[in-house]
Amino acid sequence: MATINLTEFVTLESSDGFEFKVLRSAACLAGTIKKALDPSYGFREESEGRIKLATINGVTLEKVCEYLYYHQKHAEAKDVPDMEIPPELCLELLIAADYLDI
Amino acid sequence: MSGRRGRNSAGIRGPHSALTDYLATHNISAQQIRDSYRQRLQQAEAQAEQESPEAGENGELVQDDDEAEAQAQAQAQTEAESSAMAAERSRKRKRNQEEAIAKIKKGKEAKKKASKKASKKASKKKPRGSDDDDNNDSDYDDDFLNMYKKAKPLPGQLENCELCEKRFTVTPYSKAGPDGGLLCAPCGKAVTKETKATEKAAKPIAVRKARRKIESNRLDGITMRGPKTLQQICIEKLANHSEDIEEFGELPEAIMNRLSEIFSKKRAMNSTTVKLFLRPDMDTVVIHEAAYLETEDFDQIFAVVPEIKRLSLKNCCQFKDGNMEYLIEKAKQLNAIQLLGANLVSNDNWINLFSARGKGLKSLKLEWLDAAFNDEAVQALIEFCPNLERLKLERCKQLGVDSIQAIAKADNLQHLTLRFCKEIPRKELVDLIVSVGHNLRTLCLENFLDNTVDPDDDLLIAIHDTCTHLSKFRFTENHECTDDGYLTLFTNWSNPPLRYIDVNSNRDIDNANPDGPEDIPIGLADAGFKALISHSGSRLEYLSIASCRHISHETFASIFDGEKQYPHLREINMSFCPVVDTQIVAAIFRSCPKIRTVVTFGCFEVQDVIVPRGIVLIGAPRAQDAIEQFGDVVMEFQTMREEMQRVSERVVPVMA
Repeated sequence: MATINLTEFVTLESSDGFEFKVLRSAACLAGTIKKALDPSYGFREESEGRIKLATINGVTLEKVCEYLYYHQKHAEAKDVPDMEIPPELCLELLIAADYLDI
Repeated sequence: MSGRRGRNSAGIRGPHSALTDYLATHNISAQQIRDSYRQRLQQAEAQAEQESPEAGENGELVQDDDEAEAQAQAQAQTEAESSAMAAERSRKRKRNQEEAIAKIKKGKEAKKKASKKASKKASKKKPRGSDDDDNNDSDYDDDFLNMYKKAKPLPGQLENCELCEKRFTVTPYSKAGPDGGLLCAPCGKAVTKETKATEKAAKPIAVRKARRKIESNRLDGITMRGPKTLQQICIEKLANHSEDIEEFGELPEAIMNRLSEIFSKKRAMNSTTVKLFLRPDMDTVVIHEAAYLETEDFDQIFAVVPEIKRLSLKNCCQFKDGNMEYLIEKAKQLNAIQLLGANLVSNDNWINLFSARGKGLKSLKLEWLDAAFNDEAVQALIEFCPNLERLKLERCKQLGVDSIQAIAKADNLQHLTLRFCKEIPRKELVDLIVSVGHNLRTLCLENFLDNTVDPDDDLLIAIHDTCTHLSKFRFTENHECTDDGYLTLFTNWSNPPLRYIDVNSNRDIDNANPDGPEDIPIGLADAGFKALISHSGSRLEYLSIASCRHISHETFASIFDGEKQYPHLREINMSFCPVVDTQIVAAIFRSCPKIRTVVTFGCFEVQDVIVPRGIVLIGAPRAQDAIEQFGDVVMEFQTMREEMQRVSERVVPVMA
């Protein structure tokens, strides 16, 4: 398997230019990101360790990253408390979540 | 007012506790203690007055007041002394004492008012406002001040509210403010409310709510491992704020449907929110709970979404003739209609609908109609809509034999679901199956009984002979067909294995003989169940044999022995099969690698089952507390399976 060049962190870039450095393991909880980073497909995202998410703005992406870590932390736990989401962000976050498959 | 207050102050006694009584028996007077305390307190006050440099600057008025106070104090003192000497308290004397205290207090109030006028600094001598002075005073002063504070909320007194600064009369019920002062009644109420709210928000209720939620999820068959998906969290949050949403924007249809579901579940689907779900570019409108919608809202659907192809409205009580006419006029593309409880539509309009949509109509599902929709409407449907593929008529009270005869002419039917309220002669039903059965993918016949003739298995035999393309089969609430009938149906059936089988409540009903006749078992029993499994076990995804009471333990054990595999079975309902026990449930976990839900209501023999990870066991009356019903244990056979899956996954990309 091509596990040689896998960096520990990957960069997620929002539409308005914010960058979030996220643990690869957390980022790969999102199906779309996982596919983009999959070495066997050989996308450019994989070689650069960087994914530009042109449809997601910085505020939403921050929340997405928060969720990724929240998910990673509670992956095996039972009765996990729901993550707090500001209501005004819900719709955008929902669309982003649908796109990212989380 | 003042009279009342006077009476109040006179009527209120000092504390007369059990301790006071006890002390009295030991010749210790609570009165005396109190008096000496008051004396000390007055001394301290006098001292403070002397020490404070501002004292001299006070206006005459204040000094006058102080004099009056001193007099009252002296009076109180003498009285106290006399009472102490007597060492015996009469009620009257006590009242005098109280009056004296009230006088003192009143004197202080007067002083307060006066000093307010005279100078602010004078008011600092009032115990509550004297913080600044206290800082300079001795520790003793601090102590006495704290004691004084406690003694302070004496009823009948006037006080300024700590929050709103209004003057009010102190009562025994006056609440203390955040900084130790007193609050007026309205402010006090507000504060209590707040504290109660915060208390409520605290833990215990959260725990109870969580428990409720867990129970609810258990019944829904949701396994609770790991966090929810972000989508799920967002959707639930949105449903909680349904009134604040202005527009959904370009949400994918799948998500729209999930939102519609949760809005319906939370009873948030009303005239305002339904508009969120209407977009001109959509071709499907599904509203699972339309009970809160008005007649105009239904018109809105067709006005906003004229291209609509599929319409599903459940509990659309206000769907009227007018709506039906508008639907006929506007929604020309409509080919699938599902309406539940549309009782305000007349027969004529149903017929109009069928003639207008005619060949376009492919699917019709109607349930819970009693006021209209009779046999003529069904005849019109079959006549005008030859392309009908899917028909579901459940609990339509006016339908009878004529409808069955009409449906028998529908050649293109692929999915047929019927549940009538009237009894249908079995012969008619057999004719129906014989004429439409060969095309059917879905056949659901619920509660079809015929008391007029002797029970026989003709219906099952007809299904066996005619239907060859079924994938979903439901045949329930029948106590006429025998086990032999089911055996015949599932033996050498040219139909491929079924995906979905629901044969619940097929059993003999005889209170005197709960086990049914022994020689000819009624309902789905051993032979029938074995035949069913050997026919469909390989593809079966859903199986309900609830209330099939005549299946023996032996049969269950031979079918679910932990070795035989049913690779696709996801859900099994064995409720009220009394023989099902722990062993069988455990064997199901091993025999069905994809099993997610096992329902065992009324299975009293199921106890102490260890449920593997990812599986939900519902019902199990004896096992509520004893077992962990949400699987948490990773069983050996599960890890083995996962291992094998991983291997096969790795192999696939190489091959590709």
